Amino acid sequence: MNEPVLVGIAQIVVAKAPERICCMGLGSCVAVFLYDPMGRIGGVVHALLPRAPRDAKVRGKYADTAVKALLDEMISKGARRDQLRAKLVGGAQMFPNLNIKVADIGKENVEEAKKALKGLGIRLAAEDTHGTRGRSATFDLENGRVSISTAFSDSHFI
Amino acid sequence: MKISDESKVLDIVGEFANIGAGNAATALASLLDIEVVNEVTSCNLLPLSKVANWLGGPDQVVAGVYTRLCGDLRGGVLVVLSRDSATNLIRHLTKEAPDLARLTEIQGSALREIGNICLCWYLVAVSKMIDSDLIPAPPDATVDLLGAVLDLPLADAGLKVDKVIAVHTVFKSFEKAFDGYFLLLPEEQMLDVILEKMGDGR
Repeated sequence: MNEPVLVGIAQIVVAKAPERICCMGLGSCVAVFLYDPMGRIGGVVHALLPRAPRDAKVRGKYADTAVKALLDEMISKGARRDQLRAKLVGGAQMFPNLNIKVADIGKENVEEAKKALKGLGIRLAAEDTHGTRGRSATFDLENGRVSISTAFSDSHFI
Repeated sequence: MKISDESKVLDIVGEFANIGAGNAATALASLLDIEVVNEVTSCNLLPLSKVANWLGGPDQVVAGVYTRLCGDLRGGVLVVLSRDSATNLIRHLTKEAPDLARLTEIQGSALREIGNICLCWYLVAVSKMIDSDLIPAPPDATVDLLGAVLDLPLADAGLKVDKVIAVHTVFKSFEKAFDGYFLLLPEEQMLDVILEKMGDGR
């Protein structure tokens, strides 16, 4: 099997089966996975912050604009909008004892991503979000399954 | 940020961090009663997506202690320790070997304290150099994938910018498995102060 394509912070990757796409070490970031099972096309965006400021240049960086940017990219690569389903991974609170403004930004990231999905009429099929542990998630475009592992536990699928 | 000459900026900030790390190494050495040396300080201007790779890859498991500077000058400081170092340091302080996957209350507190000591000595040294008070919030610690540990520091820094100045100083001991690094993510105003105070006569 080929090595999965990696998606770094603020990046968007769209690919087709038999490729795999991987987000490594998601903490408070949220990764949105979109899949078209007919075309076996999938895409991932790795968002760092919940809401884009008005002058934002990088759409993939903010959960609210990232979902639409990913959708546009998916459609331009041939995905059918009415087929799409979404999965969400991440949004953990990595430093729960830290008393600063952004300490639970993970929660906001997940909320904004959900709001954006809802606004675009995309069904949320599954999620593995919140908690205090980082996750690595690998997206198999053969079947749309997302394999999730953490630093200290075996992987599971959503 | 007034970056007229990027490499010069990186040189100045790198030297600044190097002196801070030297001071922290001295403090660690006396706490642990071993010889701690600083290796190299490197400084880079990186897009957010590249920071984890620059530090060795997002999927390695590390111990991270993070705080934010919350005075006039803002920025984030992260201390990253390798798994072995974290285990050794916690054992040194608590006299029992920790399971990093499930730190007890006291072990987590020991890890925070180790980070706190590193951070404070680092900050004492750098604040002297720029003649400004740097006030850290109480830090928090976790053991997890590096990518996940970096998310909050990068979210903090990334609120305003798409590229961050990251300063990385490795510290090591010859005697025991002990190594780690500091990552400083200064915000614009702090960067300006560093450049103003450190850049004189260059």
